[in-house]
Amino acid sequence: MDNHLKFSLPDGYNQQQLAGALADHYAIKKEQPVLMSMAIYDTFDWRLFNKSLVLYTFENSLFLRNLFKNNIIQSAVITLPPVFIWDFPDSKLKAQLSTVLKMRALLRLTELHSRSTVHRILNQDEKTVARLVSEEFRSERGKNAPVLAAYLWLQPVKGYTKDCRHLTKRLEATGCALLKKEDIYFKAIEAAGLNSDSYSSKLKIQLDPAMRSDEATKIILRYLLQIMKVNEAHLEKDLDTEFLHDFRVAIRRTRSALGQIKSVFPQKPTSRFKKDFSFVGQLSNPLRDLDVYLLKADAFKAMLPTALRDDIDPLFDYLRKNRSKALQKFIRSLQSKRYGQIMQDWEAFLDEPVQDPPLACNAKVPIIAFARKRIYKQYRRIVKDGSRTIENTEDEKLHALRIACKKLRYLMEFFSSLFPSKKINILIAQLRTLQDNLGDFNDLCVQEEYLLNIAEEPLTTGHKQKKILVAIGSLIGTLEGEKQIIKDTFAQTFADYASPPNKIAFSELFASKQKETVR
Amino acid sequence: MRTLAIYSNKGGVGKTATAVNLSYLAAQAGVKTLICDLDPQSSATYYFRIKPKLNYGPKGFIKGGEKINKAIKGTDYKDLDLLPADFTLRHLEAAIYKFKHPKERLKKIIKLFEAEYDLIIFDCPVTISILADNIFHASEFILVPLIPTTLSVRTYRQLLAFCRKNNYDTGKIYAFFSMVDRRKNMHMELMAKMVKEYDGVLRSLIPYLSQIERMGIDRRPVAASAPESVASKAYRNLWVKFQKTALANKRF
Ligand SMILES: Nc1ncnc2c1ncn2[C@@H]1O[C@H](COP(=O)(O)OP(=O)(O)OP(=O)(O)O)[C@@H](O)[C@H]1O
Ligand SMILES: [Mg+2]
Repeated sequence: MDNHLKFSLPDGYNQQQLAGALADHYAIKKEQPVLMSMAIYDTFDWRLFNKSLVLYTFENSLFLRNLFKNNIIQSAVITLPPVFIWDFPDSKLKAQLSTVLKMRALLRLTELHSRSTVHRILNQDEKTVARLVSEEFRSERGKNAPVLAAYLWLQPVKGYTKDCRHLTKRLEATGCALLKKEDIYFKAIEAAGLNSDSYSSKLKIQLDPAMRSDEATKIILRYLLQIMKVNEAHLEKDLDTEFLHDFRVAIRRTRSALGQIKSVFPQKPTSRFKKDFSFVGQLSNPLRDLDVYLLKADAFKAMLPTALRDDIDPLFDYLRKNRSKALQKFIRSLQSKRYGQIMQDWEAFLDEPVQDPPLACNAKVPIIAFARKRIYKQYRRIVKDGSRTIENTEDEKLHALRIACKKLRYLMEFFSSLFPSKKINILIAQLRTLQDNLGDFNDLCVQEEYLLNIAEEPLTTGHKQKKILVAIGSLIGTLEGEKQIIKDTFAQTFADYASPPNKIAFSELFASKQKETVR
Repeated sequence: MRTLAIYSNKGGVGKTATAVNLSYLAAQAGVKTLICDLDPQSSATYYFRIKPKLNYGPKGFIKGGEKINKAIKGTDYKDLDLLPADFTLRHLEAAIYKFKHPKERLKKIIKLFEAEYDLIIFDCPVTISILADNIFHASEFILVPLIPTTLSVRTYRQLLAFCRKNNYDTGKIYAFFSMVDRRKNMHMELMAKMVKEYDGVLRSLIPYLSQIERMGIDRRPVAASAPESVASKAYRNLWVKFQKTALANKRF
């Protein structure tokens, strides 16, 4: 299929013209048209598209191909429409997509209906030397629906390359143009009113270095509010856990921005909204916890000795039951007056034009100066605190360092457009390695504590309750062991991060060059 | 990749008709198939409306390599390609002797196709000398059409004797009855006798049918032009029996 050539059809092109163009050399035999209905899938954040992949169903199979290519990379027979990767039948397709989709749900983006007619091109012996396939795509079934695109495919037959070249020339002479960078995918998506840029959980904020700090901060915060709103709209449908996750990250980033980008707004609204977003964040804490443990169910089971593996199941049943209650409660809280008021006031605040003369001391500082100073200060603090932590890896110290790193990460991401992207991305990637180490450690601590607490609840009854406690105990033992392993790697990970070349890179990029008045 | 030769040391017994139809049926089932026409008369090539024209002659053929790949033509059917023959192949046997290990040349040539095809079917000319050795070395299975006549049976015995003498595994030889006329008592009696006497005689037969003769005019496998015909059903049945017995339902 890779050698199929795709041509555009000039407007009003019809079959007579085609036959006429070839008549002196070839006969044409038309076959019955074939109808195909496909449905295209991707996640809300376009994970497949971002990897140039197109996933679609046709009849009872799933197919994966690359954008701009026709050949199928993987396929699998399915009984139900695909939603989560863990519902996929074991197959190469599943293996390939699991690292891309992870916990995100697939959404049915749109349908695509194709009607294709094969014209066999025959030589004097009435041997087929090529196939010309005219194909029409529509978003809706039926001949009357508008045509999204019409193509002519030239499918060579092995060993008849001369004829194929000849036919290509003929087609071009009648006004058909060879298409290379075109894929019906885009037209189908567009016709469905979708846009592959519509959502990304990554921050793509564009700032101008000379901009006032209060104005730049509002741009950042408005961006985050937009993410909150987009995800909030999907929370009730409970399609997957990542709408809530992204929603919460946007809240955390908002709080971090309010706390770290100091004195750009007046004191009063700043402290009010800090409190408000702390409240908003807490609304979903129980639900997110449950999501995390349920997503980890398989990993937890894998940590247990085989003999105990099934004993833990009642725990997950219990969590699942709690989750649906937690979801209901959370959705109700989103409909509460207080939540509504907070979001409304916040948006109004962000939409207010910046004040001149400013009411806060850093409001008018150019954002580049502010960004440099804050990032550099935070970096040095981490280096200082981390060096102390190496000597004494108490849990609390690691915890504090993790928070400090997260703050730095958020700052670097807010302001990344102000710096050469390659340089800052390298520094972000290095920070991420350290964060992963600290994050893994923290996750284990939190999980351990959660399991200890939940063990006090009546998860099930009688004999089973005793067995589950044994399983939980075993799990905690394993987590404790892992914690120690991670702790042991901390020193090296941190040393890498605080290494002299990295320090130089940081100071080159962020140490203030001029004297700026940032307080 | 599986390899199957439609072979007989007797002429006009229905080898080509069988090779053409079985290769078509295999391809229809999604088995990527290459039919290799080894006969200078190039009847299989003709049946698929392909020009009997090779650019390399017998020496080039027996040398093998990329040239051969380039000579392959797609047929009108999905998953079925053909390596054409032409009249120069009449010198094939003479050419083979000029190479080292002359009995294994064909086996070496088709190694090239390992990645691309699931099945190779050889349509063989009548031979019992060096080309036959090549066919026996290159093929996992040999399928022999037998017309139920005394003379035919005699040739079949000669074939088995040849194999034993040359230490070829007679276990890979399968036979079936071809051009059978059920009205002839002699046909029926001989078939009954053969089935008893030999292992590897498939319980499947191709009757004598004018539909099959007409393939020469139609230039298409009868299984393609008249899929519901008696002829087509007979070939389908033969293909099923062959898969069940010889391949023991192994997958391609
Ligand atoms: N079952 C059949 N019924 C009627 N005619 C048949 C049948 N099988 C083959 N024929 C016809 O008999 C002739 C010889 O058949 P075919 O060419 O298949 O035999 P072959 O063994 O390949 O011959 P050769 O030894 O010349 O290669 C052809 O004209 C063919 O159409
Ligand atoms: Mg023949």
